[in-house]
Amino acid sequence: MRSRLRRSLAPAAAIAASALLLAACAGEPEPAATGPTEGGTLVYASGDAEPTCLDPHVGGNYPQALLATQFLESLVSRDADGAIVPWLAESWTVSEDALTWEFTLAEGIEFTDGTPFDAEAVKANIEHLQDPATQSSTGYLAVQKVESVEAVDETTARFTLSAPDSALLESLSQPWLAIESPTGIARGMEENCESPVGTGPFVVDSWAKQDRVTLTRNDGYASAPGDAAHDGPAFLDGIEWRFIPDSASRYAALQAGEVDVIDNVQPDVLVQAEQSEDLVELDAPRPGSSNRIELNSGKAPFDDVAVREAFIRSVNVDDAVASLFQGTAERSYSPLASVEPAAYSDDSLFSYDIDEANDLLDEAGWSEKDADGVRMKDGERLTLTFPVSTNQSIPAEVSLFEQLQAGAKEAGFDVQLDLLDLASWYSALGANEYDLVSAPYTKVGPDVLRILYHSDGIVPAPSGYFANHSQIDDPAVDALLDEASATLDEADRAALYEEAQADVLEGYYILPLYDQQNHFLLSTSVHDARALGTVSTPSFAAAWLS
Amino acid sequence: MHGTRARSVARWAARSALRAAVVLWASATLVFFITRLVPGDPAEAALGGPGSQASEEALAAVRERFGFDQPLIVQYGMAMLALLRLDLGTSYSLRQPVAQILGDTVPGTVILAVLALLLAWVLALALTLAQSRGSRVGAAVGDTVEIVASAVPHFWLGTILIAVFSTGLSWFPPVSTGTPAGLVLPVVTLAIPIAGFLAHVMRGSLDEALRSPFAVSALARGETETGLRSRHALRHAALPALGLSAWAFGYLVGGAVVVETIFARPGLGRSLLQAVTVRDVPVVTGVVLVSALVYVVLTIVTDALTRLVDPRIATEVR
Amino acid sequence: MTLDAATIDPLRPPPRPERRRRRVRVGEVVAVLFTVALVIASVAPGLLAPLDPTAVAPLEAFRPPSPSHPFGTDESGRDVYTRLVHGTGASLLIGLAATAIGLGTALVLALVAVFGGRVADGIVGRTIEVLFAFPALLSALLVILVLGPGPVAATVAVGLSTAPGYARIIRTSLLTVRASGYVESARLLGHSPARVVLRTILPNALAPLLALATLGVGQAVVWASSLSFLGLGAQPPAPEWGAMLASARVYLTTAWWLTVFPGLLIVATTLAATAIGRSLDARSRRSS
Repeated sequence: MRSRLRRSLAPAAAIAASALLLAACAGEPEPAATGPTEGGTLVYASGDAEPTCLDPHVGGNYPQALLATQFLESLVSRDADGAIVPWLAESWTVSEDALTWEFTLAEGIEFTDGTPFDAEAVKANIEHLQDPATQSSTGYLAVQKVESVEAVDETTARFTLSAPDSALLESLSQPWLAIESPTGIARGMEENCESPVGTGPFVVDSWAKQDRVTLTRNDGYASAPGDAAHDGPAFLDGIEWRFIPDSASRYAALQAGEVDVIDNVQPDVLVQAEQSEDLVELDAPRPGSSNRIELNSGKAPFDDVAVREAFIRSVNVDDAVASLFQGTAERSYSPLASVEPAAYSDDSLFSYDIDEANDLLDEAGWSEKDADGVRMKDGERLTLTFPVSTNQSIPAEVSLFEQLQAGAKEAGFDVQLDLLDLASWYSALGANEYDLVSAPYTKVGPDVLRILYHSDGIVPAPSGYFANHSQIDDPAVDALLDEASATLDEADRAALYEEAQADVLEGYYILPLYDQQNHFLLSTSVHDARALGTVSTPSFAAAWLS
Repeated sequence: MHGTRARSVARWAARSALRAAVVLWASATLVFFITRLVPGDPAEAALGGPGSQASEEALAAVRERFGFDQPLIVQYGMAMLALLRLDLGTSYSLRQPVAQILGDTVPGTVILAVLALLLAWVLALALTLAQSRGSRVGAAVGDTVEIVASAVPHFWLGTILIAVFSTGLSWFPPVSTGTPAGLVLPVVTLAIPIAGFLAHVMRGSLDEALRSPFAVSALARGETETGLRSRHALRHAALPALGLSAWAFGYLVGGAVVVETIFARPGLGRSLLQAVTVRDVPVVTGVVLVSALVYVVLTIVTDALTRLVDPRIATEVR
Repeated sequence: MTLDAATIDPLRPPPRPERRRRRVRVGEVVAVLFTVALVIASVAPGLLAPLDPTAVAPLEAFRPPSPSHPFGTDESGRDVYTRLVHGTGASLLIGLAATAIGLGTALVLALVAVFGGRVADGIVGRTIEVLFAFPALLSALLVILVLGPGPVAATVAVGLSTAPGYARIIRTSLLTVRASGYVESARLLGHSPARVVLRTILPNALAPLLALATLGVGQAVVWASSLSFLGLGAQPPAPEWGAMLASARVYLTTAWWLTVFPGLLIVATTLAATAIGRSLDARSRRSS
C-alpha cells in the first residue's frame, strides 16, 4: 500500500482537505494529468449487515447511511473541518429567539423520478420522519424539537422549533434525514424501502436480497455539496453494492479483483494490505462518540467513584490496543470522536497504575480477597458483568476486552464477559444487568453528548432502549448539556460541551478506547473517492476507474 | 403375486403421504411453541427489536395486527389456519412475505446442498473402494483421512480453499459470482466433511457386512474378497449410509449457514442466521418448515430406495 | 454402550476369518496414552501446564512456536499450549455431553420404535422425522433463539440434533439384524425376546454406530466451534478448543499456529477415540 490517508480534522485545514483526495499521493508514477475517465462500474463490498430497508428514514442505522449516501442528499453537509456547508439548501437564517429557521433551497433540482425538489418536499420529509408509522428512530430523535415545517414559497422552507436546537444543522446533515421524493414516499413503505428516490448521483436500480444493490448513474445530477471538488453527473456508469459478510472473503475478493472497494477492514487485514502495491486505505473514523467502555454508575459497585477509578487504573489499554490493532487505531481520551472539533481529551486521568487501583479499592472497603483473588466487601464479590455484542464488537475488540479482563483481575475484579447476539445484548441492557458495556453512537456534532450523558437518557423508551448506559445522573452535567443545546454561538457552545466532557471524564464514567473504526480499502484503480464530513460514509460522486 | 405387490406399493405411498403431513404439522406446532418461548416482547421484535425505540402506539398497533394480545391457543389456531392457506406471514425485519423470501433463497441453497451431497457420495464411495484391499495400513490411512475430513470445520476449510485456489492460484472466484465457477469452492467446502462422515459409516457397515454369514459362504464359494466387497457387501454397506442421506441433507443445510456466509451466497442459511439474530420469528418458522418439507421428501425417496436395495425390509417389517 | 464379553452370544455370526494374529498394536498404545493424557488434562490441567491460561501479555502477542512457547502465543500473548491443555475439560465435556445426549435419545427412540409395536414405531418414526426437520445448526440456532447464546445451548442443541441421525441408523441396523436368520434361530432355540434383543440384536446393531459415535465427539466440538464462528458460541476467556479454532480463523494467514494446534487436537482426540473403539470392538469379537 503506497499511502495511508487519514481523514483527520487536524487544525491545518489545507492538509486535511488534500488528504480527502485519495489519488493525491505525492510521487505516484501514474499520469495524474490525464484526468478522470468516464464509464465503468465500481464494485463495492460491504461487510455491514444488509439493510432491511433502503430508506434511511425507516429505523436509521449505519449500513443504511452507507448506501443512502450514493443516492440521497441532505439539506446541508459538513466539510472536513467540521463546518456546515450548503447542499440542497443554499443558505439559511435563524430568528433572534432561535425558534424559527428559514432555509433557501437550491433551484431547478429534480428528484430522479421527475418530482421537483421544493419546500413542499422538505415539509413532506420531516413529516414522514415524525410519523410513527415510518418507524424512524435516528431521524425521529433528531427532529424532536421541530414543531412544524412550512413551505413559504417554492424555495423557502420555514422550520418552527419548540425549543432552541443548536444541533439542528448537524442533525439535518445526516443521511438519516436525507430528502426523498414525496412521490416516492407516497408509494408506501414497502415500495419505498426497495427503491427510495432522491436527488443523488446514483439511482437504485434493483436490490437482490442477500446479494447486491445495483445503482446506476443519475445523468441529470447537479446538486453536489458545497465542499465537493466535482459538480455534475458521476463519471461511473454505476455501482454494484455487494454484501460480503465475512472479512477474510471480502479481502480475498478485493485481492482477486472481484471488487474495487471493501469496508469494515479489520486490523489484521490492514496490516497485510500494507504490503500490497495495489491497495490504498481510506481511514474515516465515524463522528459522534468515541469507542469507549461505559461504567454503570447506577448500581453497585460502580456507584462508588473510587471503584470506577480503580477499574480504569487497573487496565492497560495502551498495550492492548498496540498488540491487537497493530498501529491501525489511535488511543482516545475523549468522550467524543476525534473528528468532532468540540472533542475534549484528558489523558492524565487514564494512566495505568495498578498500585493506585489497589489502594483505591482497599480504601473503598473492598479489602478482603477470596480464594480466587477476587476482592470482597460485606460478603459480596467484586464481580462486573460485561455484555458484549458480537454484532457491534469486532474480534480484535473482543480480544481487547479479554485483555482488560485479565488486567482487572490483577486488581481483584472478576469481570464476566458475556458474548451476546444483538437481541440478547439489548435485553441485558434493558434489564440493567451490566456493569460495563461498550456501545458507540454515531451522530454528527457534539449534541451526541446530550443523548449519551443527560439524565433523560436513563429513562427507557417503551421498547426498553436507553442511551445513557453509564447512567450519569448529575444535575450539573444536565444543566451544561441543556444550555449547550440552546446556545447557537459556536465558541460558547464548544466551551459548554468541553465542561460537560470534563465532568464525564473526571467522574470516571467512561474509559475511552479509540475512535469508531471505519477503514476502507480501495484498489488503486479507484480514484477520487472520498469520505463525507458528515458520518464518514464514502461518496463515489466524483470517483472514476482507471 | 403382482396384485399383492401393487397393493403393497399403494399402501406404502398412502402411508408416506400421511406421514409427511403429520411430520409437517408436528414441526409447525413445535416451532410455533418454541418461538413463543423466545424471551422479549414479540411486538417489539416485529418492530425491529429493542434497539428500534418503538413507541407505545406502534407496539399496540402491532400487537393488534399480529394477534399477540390473543390467548396462545387462539394464536396457535390462527397460525395453523394460515399455514393451511399456505400463508407463511410477513417477515418482521424485511417487511416482505416470507414465501417470497424463501422463494428467492431456497433454490440457491438446494443447488448448493444437492451438488455437495452428490460430490460427498462420490468421494465417500471412492474412499471406501480405495481401501477395499483391506490392509491394516490402508484402514489406518482411511481412518485418518475420514476423521480429518469430518473434523474440519466449514469455516476453516472455506478460508483455506479461498487462500489456495482463489488468492493463490486464481482458479476460482472467492465469492459467489452467479457463475458455475463460483459454485466450485462452496460445494467442495460443504462436501468434504460430510464425505468423511459417509465414508466412515460405509466402511464400518462394509466390515460388518463382510463378517456376516453370506460373506463367509461367498468366500467359501470361491469369490475373491475384492469382488465380494465391491459387488455384494457394498450394497449392504450402502444401506445405513443411504439412511443417513436425509440426515446428511440437514447437515448440509446447517453447513450452508456457514458456507453461505463465507462465500457471500444468497441462501436459506444466511436468511436463517439473520432472522435468528433479529428474532424474526416468521422467517425462522418458514425456514424450519422448508427444511422439514425437504426432509420429508428425501425420506420418502430414500425409503423407496431402501426397499429396492433390501426387499426384506419392505416385506417383513412394513 | 460397551461391548464387553458378557454381551456376546454364542449365536453371533462367526467372526470374519482372521488374516493376521492380533497383537498389541503401536497405534492402540499411542491412543491409550493420548487418552490418559487427555484425562489428566481434564482433571488436573496444572500438572501438564503450570501457567495461567488466561494471563495476557500483550507485548508477547503472535509469537510463533519456540522452546518457551511450544505452540506459540495468541493475539493477547497467551500461551497456546497452556490454553489447549486447560481447555481439554470444557471441550471434551461439550463433545461427550453432546454425544451422550444424542446417543441416549437415539437409543431409546430406536428401541421403542423397533420393539414397541406398530403404534410405537409410528409415533417414534414421526418423532425422529420431526427432529430431523431441525438439523444440526438449525436446531442449535433455535435453541439459541430461546436460551440465548452460550456453551450449554450449543451442547444441548448439537446433542439433540445428532439424535435423529443416530436413531435412524440404529433403527435400520436393528431392522436388518432382526430380519436376519440368526435372530430366528435364537427364537427357535427358545431364548426370551429380551435376551434376543440384549444379547443378539443390540451388539450387532450398535457396531456401525460405534464408528459414528466416535466421530460424533469431535463433530460436536466442531459444530460448537462453528457456532463460535457465527458469534453464538463459548464465552471468553475460558479456553475451549472450538472457540479457539473459531477466533483464530481471523489470523489464519498470519499466525498459522493458532488454528493448526487446536485443529490437530480435535482430530487426534477423534482418532484416539476411534482407535480405542475399534480395538474394543475387535477384542469383544475375538473373545467370542
